[in-house]
Amino acid sequence: MGYIKWVFWITFWVLVASFFHYTLPQHDVARVSDTYEKRIDFGANSIFWAAADVGNAATTANHDVFFIQTRLTNDQVMVYRNEDTGWGWPPYFKFDTSNLQAEASDLKSGADAPQWVVIKHYGWRNEFMSIFPNAVSVRAVDDPNVRIIPWLNIGILIFFFAFVWAVWVRWRRFREARIDPVLEDAGDSIANTSDGVKKWFGSWRK
Amino acid sequence: MIALVRLLVFGFLALSVVYVCLSLYSRSVRRGKLEAEWDEEIKDGDRDAFVKEGMLEYDGSLRRKLILGVYVIPISIISFIIYATNFM
Repeated sequence: MGYIKWVFWITFWVLVASFFHYTLPQHDVARVSDTYEKRIDFGANSIFWAAADVGNAATTANHDVFFIQTRLTNDQVMVYRNEDTGWGWPPYFKFDTSNLQAEASDLKSGADAPQWVVIKHYGWRNEFMSIFPNAVSVRAVDDPNVRIIPWLNIGILIFFFAFVWAVWVRWRRFREARIDPVLEDAGDSIANTSDGVKKWFGSWRK
Repeated sequence: MIALVRLLVFGFLALSVVYVCLSLYSRSVRRGKLEAEWDEEIKDGDRDAFVKEGMLEYDGSLRRKLILGVYVIPISIISFIIYATNFM
C-alpha cells in the first residue's frame, strides 16, 4: 500500500508543479534578433497553442502565428510565439499580440550593439513537440544582469500553499474525529480473524 | 466571442455558488452569535423574537452587502490584468 500512496502523491505534486511552471509568468533577458510569422497546422501539440486572435473566426484548422527570435544572455537561442490568450486559459487576458510584435520588431539588435530586453512569457519550449513559450510583454533594459523579483509568483504560490495547508489541516482533524474511530472499531472486531487486515487498516491511518 | 461568453457564464455560476455558500454561512454565524448572546447575557423574554430582530437588523447591514465582494473583487482583478497586460 505504501508504494501506491507514494506514487500517487509524487505524481500529483509533479503535475501541480508543472502546471504552475507552465502557467506562471517568467522573465528572460534576451536580445531580439528577428521577428517573423509562419502558418501553423496544429496537430498533437494543439493544446500548447492558443486559439485564433480574439474576434477572428475560431473554427479554422490553422492560422498564422507571430514568432520572436532571441538570443539569451547565456548565448542560447530562444524562440517565443506571440499569440492572444484572449478570454481563455491561462488568464493573462492578452489581446495586444500585434502591438507586442511591433514593439519586439522595434527592439531588434545585432550582436555588436546589443539592445537587451526583458521578455515576460509563460509556457515551455520543447523541440520534440514544436511548442514555444508565449511572450506576454517586452521592455528594454540597459543592463543584461538586471535583477527581477517575481512578486506575483511569490504571492500566488504563498496563497496556493496556504490554501492547501488549510484544507489538509481540516481533513486531518475530520479524519481523527470521524473516520479513525470507526476504522479502529472495525479493526478490533476482525483482529481475531486476521492480523493482516488490521495492518491494512493501519496503513490507511498513517 | 464564444470564449468571452463561456468565461462570463461559467464565472458567474462559480461565483454564485461561492456567494450562496458564503451568505448562508455568514447568516448561520450571526444567528449563532445572537443565540449565544441571549443564552449568556439576556436570558429574559422571547428568545426567538430576539434572534429574529437581530437577523432583520443583519439583513440591512453593511456586513451582508460586503459579501457582494465575491463578484466585485474578481471583476476588478480581471479589469486590472487586462489593463496591465495590454495598456501598461
